[in-house]
Amino acid sequence: MTGINSEMSRRNVLRAIGLGAVAVGGGGLLGACGGLKGSGGSSSGALKIGYVSPQTGPLAGFGAADEFIVKQIREALRDGITAGGKKTKIEIIVKDSQSNPNRASDVARQLIFEDKVDLIVASSTPDTTNPVADQCEANGIPCVGTIAPWEAWYFGRGAKEGTEFRYTTMFYFGMTEITNCFVSMWDRMGTNKKVATLWPNDSDANAFRQGFPPVMKRKGYTMVDGGSYQNGISDYSAQIAKFKGAGAELFTTTPLPPDFNTYWKQAAQQGYRPKLATVAKVMLFPSEAEALGPLANNIATDVWWSPVHPYKSTLDGTTAQQLADNYAKDTGKQWTQALGSVYSLFEIAVSALGSADDPRDRKAVAQELKDMKIECMGGALDFTAGPVPGVAVQKLAGAQWRKGKDFAWDLVIVDNSQVPHVPVGGDLLPTG
Amino acid sequence: MDWVNALVQGILLGGLYALFACGLSLLFGVMRIVNLAHGDLAVLAAFLAYATATVTGVSALWATVVVVPVFAVLGYLVHRGLLERSLAAGPLATLLVTFGLSIVVQNLLLESFSADSRTLDVGSLVSASLRITDDISVSYLAVLTFLLAAGVLVGLQLFLSRTQLGRIVRATSDDPEAATLVGADSRHVYGIATALAFATVALAGLMFAMRSSFDPNIGPSRLIFAFEAVVIGGLGSLWGTFVGGIVLGLAQTVAAQIDPALTLLAGHLLFLAVLAFRPQGLLPARSM
Repeated sequence: MTGINSEMSRRNVLRAIGLGAVAVGGGGLLGACGGLKGSGGSSSGALKIGYVSPQTGPLAGFGAADEFIVKQIREALRDGITAGGKKTKIEIIVKDSQSNPNRASDVARQLIFEDKVDLIVASSTPDTTNPVADQCEANGIPCVGTIAPWEAWYFGRGAKEGTEFRYTTMFYFGMTEITNCFVSMWDRMGTNKKVATLWPNDSDANAFRQGFPPVMKRKGYTMVDGGSYQNGISDYSAQIAKFKGAGAELFTTTPLPPDFNTYWKQAAQQGYRPKLATVAKVMLFPSEAEALGPLANNIATDVWWSPVHPYKSTLDGTTAQQLADNYAKDTGKQWTQALGSVYSLFEIAVSALGSADDPRDRKAVAQELKDMKIECMGGALDFTAGPVPGVAVQKLAGAQWRKGKDFAWDLVIVDNSQVPHVPVGGDLLPTG
Repeated sequence: MDWVNALVQGILLGGLYALFACGLSLLFGVMRIVNLAHGDLAVLAAFLAYATATVTGVSALWATVVVVPVFAVLGYLVHRGLLERSLAAGPLATLLVTFGLSIVVQNLLLESFSADSRTLDVGSLVSASLRITDDISVSYLAVLTFLLAAGVLVGLQLFLSRTQLGRIVRATSDDPEAATLVGADSRHVYGIATALAFATVALAGLMFAMRSSFDPNIGPSRLIFAFEAVVIGGLGSLWGTFVGGIVLGLAQTVAAQIDPALTLLAGHLLFLAVLAFRPQGLLPARSM
């Protein structure tokens, strides 16, 4: 190959590349539409619940079970509910946030102004839950969110200590719960108490960087910090060398899923095998365990919902196990933790609409949400007892990925010290 | 010893970047096409190999043997059906066409394979490594990638400089009209160049997919490193691309040794420095 045409001036080349960079950055904005369609025939006078979640884009894994859950809920509610003293149909309108906060905001506005929904539920990461909640708060629509750490949902929306949102609520866990979950597994594993931490420079991992060290110090753990690298790097040899050099027997991380895959394989190549790896944000879905193959064995993570959790539906009595089994039968796929959370969003919505004197009185419904105490598919949720107003906290079990029977990998509960009512399915075993 | 390790791993990482950048460099060098779908095509190749391995039960390494030629054919067809039409309308049109292709590929993959992350299973090879000292282990997969990158780039360079067809490609690249006048079919020649570029991007995608995991949305994030390797090495020069990939890999691992927070920044800064002070790249293409 020879030189660039002299006619092709450097400026043109650079301009083309500059445009390229812009286009690369903007790729997500133009992601496809599609996904689930909202329900068709609307009966006049029905109460409308809007649902926003990432069904396409990088976070689409979270939305994978949405279609199934919405079908289950529609089935359970086909006869409508009693709200405000009379029988009312419930209509569910589904919108895709495309893993994009701006899009999430747009579809929330559509739900409010075009579909005129009575309540909005939103799930899966602050990129969707926060913009939706902001729209609801600004326009006076009751809202419930989930699958976003409560601190990210609360402080991330500009709340200060003592702020009370009027219309928006959520349930999930926060730093305290995940710290307790991981440390109680560390405590049970006889180690040199040196913890390798691989925390990138993003908002999730920075919350860990703030939350974990005080607890580690109190419990006598030393931190071997891998440094706040940027997401998307392709090589972890510097971090691995540091962890190996320090002899860290425990390992914890909060990375992006593809980054974890790269790191974990490279650590195996370089001969770094911690006694116990506790990971957050990754290894939530069975597909991630499958993508690691044998290296996934006994990696520990946090679990807020599983089929063995002794929870059942307030709508039709379906148990957690039945929900997971139905999902497997219906889709051929293995359960994910999002199943229980998304299901409960609708239970809570229906409960609030049903118990308000007038289901169309936004303030009354929002108050019902904030006063909610419910034992549902997601467990016992108390919105009055949270760390801040309008937040119900879920406790976490510890679990490890093991070779499965029906599917390649199963998430087995190994630590229930925070949730004694959840049965343990196996012993805590070394990862390495 | 840590520094030696950083150098070794950096060079090996550079092999991956160079392999990734090869197709981009080729398309740009021959046709001045900035292929924004480059990363997504690599992911498409990975999914094809994944599907081949799953359906037929052959190992991922064998799937490679199938996917690379398939991609070469696909490349030829994409050129004749898509890129050729846009070339006449100037560089912006091709940029938009490849951008569109990128979105189409991403969403087709999402529709047909879901958002689940996958990997190409290469069995025990994934964690196998040669232990040189206690501090330095060299992954066989990384060595294989590096050798492939070197082989592909040397092979392409020899093809372009030594063979009859290679000379025609160069001639067409320099002046399509004149080359056509003396009997070269520029559309066919460009098609062959695209086929070669697609074959290398498939190879890069497969090596990446074995080394890490992939999902339909991961393509664009890989594109930036390929861009940087091409620009650092020198636009239009395959040797330069090889050097550019290695320099980029080294910059990242050495910076990570100082502070992991600097890893990507070091690569980007190097890229900017090259653009500012040596815009022709480290090993610029020979001028005619």
